Amino acid sequence: MKSPILLSLALGCGWLFSPEVLVITGNSAGNLGLLAIPLLALAAFLFSTCGKAINSVQLGSKESSELQILRQSIGAIPAASLTLAACFPLLILAATALLVTSGYTFNEVFLYWFPNFGFAFLLLGLLTLVQFLPMKQLLRVQLFCVSLAGGGILILAVYGSGTSVIPLSALLHMPQQLSGAALSSALLLFLFAGSNLFHGQQGRFSLIPRLAFIVFSLWMFASLSHVNPERLASSTIPYMTASRRILGDTGRQIMGVVVVSGSCAAVIGLTLLCREKLTDLAQAHMAPAFLAKGGGRWILPPLVAIATGICMATGLAGDEILETLLRSALLLWLLYYSAVTLAATLVLKKEQQTVSLPARVAPLLLFTGLLAVLFTNPQRSEMFVILICLLVTSSALAALWFFINPKERLKKETL
Amino acid sequence: MKRLLPLLLLFFFAGASLLHASDVPTISKDELKAQLDTGKTVVLDVRSGRDWSSSEFKIKGAIRAAGDDIGKWSKDYKKDQKLVLYCA
Repeated sequence: MKSPILLSLALGCGWLFSPEVLVITGNSAGNLGLLAIPLLALAAFLFSTCGKAINSVQLGSKESSELQILRQSIGAIPAASLTLAACFPLLILAATALLVTSGYTFNEVFLYWFPNFGFAFLLLGLLTLVQFLPMKQLLRVQLFCVSLAGGGILILAVYGSGTSVIPLSALLHMPQQLSGAALSSALLLFLFAGSNLFHGQQGRFSLIPRLAFIVFSLWMFASLSHVNPERLASSTIPYMTASRRILGDTGRQIMGVVVVSGSCAAVIGLTLLCREKLTDLAQAHMAPAFLAKGGGRWILPPLVAIATGICMATGLAGDEILETLLRSALLLWLLYYSAVTLAATLVLKKEQQTVSLPARVAPLLLFTGLLAVLFTNPQRSEMFVILICLLVTSSALAALWFFINPKERLKKETL
Repeated sequence: MKRLLPLLLLFFFAGASLLHASDVPTISKDELKAQLDTGKTVVLDVRSGRDWSSSEFKIKGAIRAAGDDIGKWSKDYKKDQKLVLYCA
C-alpha cells in the first residue's frame, strides 16, 4: 500500500470500529449525556500527545520500537513481559468476544436459520486464512473491513444527527446516571487500544484519535438524539438500539454489516499488532530468532485460531468471566501504553530534548484512568487477580527465555 | 507444509461449524403464545455472558436464570407450572 494515510487507517483503525467500542461509546453517552463528547476529545488529545512523544524518540533513534524504548527504562525482562502480557491475551480474548458477537448479529439480522456459533467459527477460519496472504493483500482486506465499518457508522451518525427526535434543550441536561459516570469516562480510553503502536504509522500519530473523535462524537450525538439516556446506559447492545431507532430495519442491517466488518478489522488489526511485537521481541533477542524475519506470519495465526477456537468451544463466551478477562486485558494494554509513553519522555529528557507539559502529564492521566477503571469496576478483585496472574506468567516466560538462552543473556548484558 | 496448513485449518473450522446440539423437546412460537395466555407457563432465559448480552432478541416477560443452577431455581415454581427454557 503506497498511501501512508491509507496504511495508517488500515493499521490503526482495527479495534476502533469494533462492537466493543460501540458498546463503550453508547453506554458512555447514556451515562454522561453530551458531556461524553468533550471527554472523548480529551481522550483523543491524550493519545495524540502520547503518540507524538513515542514518535519523537523513534525518529531520533536507530532502535526505534516501543520494546526498545521500554527496555532502556525498565530493563529487558520487564519490557518483554509487559509486551507479552499487554498484547497476546487481548488478541485471544477480544477475538473470542467479537466473533461470538458477530455470530449473534449475523444470525439475528441477516439469516435466522444460520447457527450463530457456526458463523463465529467460519469467520475465525476465514480470518486465519486471510493472515497467510502477502502483507500487501492483507492490508487491502483490512482497509476494506475498516472502510465498511467506518462508512456504516458514519452514515448512521450523519443521518441520525440530522433527524433528531429529542430536542437539543433536553440533550443539554446534566447526566442522569452519575453512578456510572466515572467508569464511563475512563472507559473512553479503551477506544484507542492498539491504534498508535504500528511502525508503519510513524508521523501520523494524531490521525486515528482525530478520526475517532469526529466519528464517535457524531455517533454519540445521533444516539442521544434518538434513544433516551437511561436506555443507552443500561443496554448491552446500545449500537443496535440506536441504529434501529435512526433508520428502522435498514439501520439494523447497516449496523449488522458494521458489527461483522468491525469485528474482522479488530481481529486482523490486533493479530498484525501481535505479529509486529513478536518480530520486535525476536530482533531484540528476546524470542526465537526465526520470528525476526516474519516467522510470526506462519506461527501466530494458527496458534491464535486454536486458542480462540478452544475458548469458544468450551463456552467461555457464555460465561460472565469473559467480560472481566477482556477488561483486564485492556487494562494491561493501557498499562503498557502509559509505560511506553513514560519511557519515551524519560528518553527525550535524557537526550536533553524538550518535553512538552501535556506529554509529561499524559502517562500520569492514562495511569489514573487505568486505576479508575479498576477500582470503579464491580469485579475489581477478580480483575486484580487476573492482572497479577497475567503479569506473573509473562514475567516467568521472559525470565525462562533468558535463563535457557545464555547467549541471549550475554547479548543483554553487553547492551 | 505452508500450503497444507491453510487447507487443514479450513477443514477444522468447517467441521466445527457443523456441530449441532443434541435433540431436545422444543415448542413452536404459536404453541408458546397460546400457553402464555393460560398463565401457567413461565419462560426462562437461561443464556448468559455474550450469549445473552450480544442478542437483540429477548422474549418479553422472560425471567433470567442460570442454566447450570436448575436445582436452585426450580424450587421457586409450582409443580403444575410449565417451564420453557430459552437458550439460543
